[in-house]
Amino acid sequence: MSTTAKSATDDLADVERVLSGDAAAFEGIVRRWQGPLVNMAWRYCRDRARAEELAQEAFVRAWRGLGQWRRESSFSTWLFALAANVFRSDLKRVPTVNIPIDDIVEPSQPASQADELQRKLRYEVVRRAVLALPLRYREPVLLFYFHEMDVAATARTMGLAEGTVKARLSRARELLRRRFPHLADEHAAMELSASTTGKEA
Amino acid sequence: MKDELLDRILGTEEELVPSSGFAASVMERIREEAVAPRPIPFPWKQAVPGIVLAVGVFGWGAVELTRQVVSAAHHASSISLHFPASMLRPVEGIGWVAIALGASLASWLLSRFMIADSRLL
Repeated sequence: MSTTAKSATDDLADVERVLSGDAAAFEGIVRRWQGPLVNMAWRYCRDRARAEELAQEAFVRAWRGLGQWRRESSFSTWLFALAANVFRSDLKRVPTVNIPIDDIVEPSQPASQADELQRKLRYEVVRRAVLALPLRYREPVLLFYFHEMDVAATARTMGLAEGTVKARLSRARELLRRRFPHLADEHAAMELSASTTGKEA
Repeated sequence: MKDELLDRILGTEEELVPSSGFAASVMERIREEAVAPRPIPFPWKQAVPGIVLAVGVFGWGAVELTRQVVSAAHHASSISLHFPASMLRPVEGIGWVAIALGASLASWLLSRFMIADSRLL
């Protein structure tokens, strides 16, 4: 049995036990899904403490609404959609502290930033820039990469058509490209520099 | 910036490991939820007759009022009789008083019905 299939069987068994009154069986669900839910929440807020609070809230809502899970979709699909709703509502209530995308400055002087730490920092700037996108473009990006670039899974989590998700992703990429026009050149320079150093060694 | 590079940057996030007490803290909240008394659901069964009655009274009032206004307008245009505004104002007021009395009665009946049924008193 594959890991996914086993997880689905375990989820179903735990849900049945919880619905029949065994609250402790929910722990199996928490242990299986805590990693994905905390990571998903992290992508929404990029704040570790808040990510755990959001994930906890999502688990509590899942516990309350467990009886509403129709077995038509997998438990994980239902759980992610519920969690996305929780995260979205909470972030509308208390937005993450971020600066407008137009105010994000692309770092200059690529030649001096050719080390690993600088590259990581630059990539983090791009990741944080995603949080500055308007919500309708931000969420498809967050979920698309959370779901390992699976458009169908992203669409299921958001309850949108795949075409809509693709269109929003495309627009989000366009906004990011416009904000970081030189990143590709710098990246190519860094790759070249790394390969040259490798050959010399 | 090319899409491949964006995919590379956004697709290679470091995995966050939940803190060691995370699952325990979630389960603590779940246990609290499990032992907490269920919230009392709204008594729709008892409330529906009252709501229907109130809607009926309001609907009837609105229909009556419209009918009277239309008939008064028709009457006024056919006989070209004009009443002074001071005479018409009390007639309009009667409609509103009737609606208010109806609503109050419906509300009183509904509250009596709900209290009697829930045996709170």
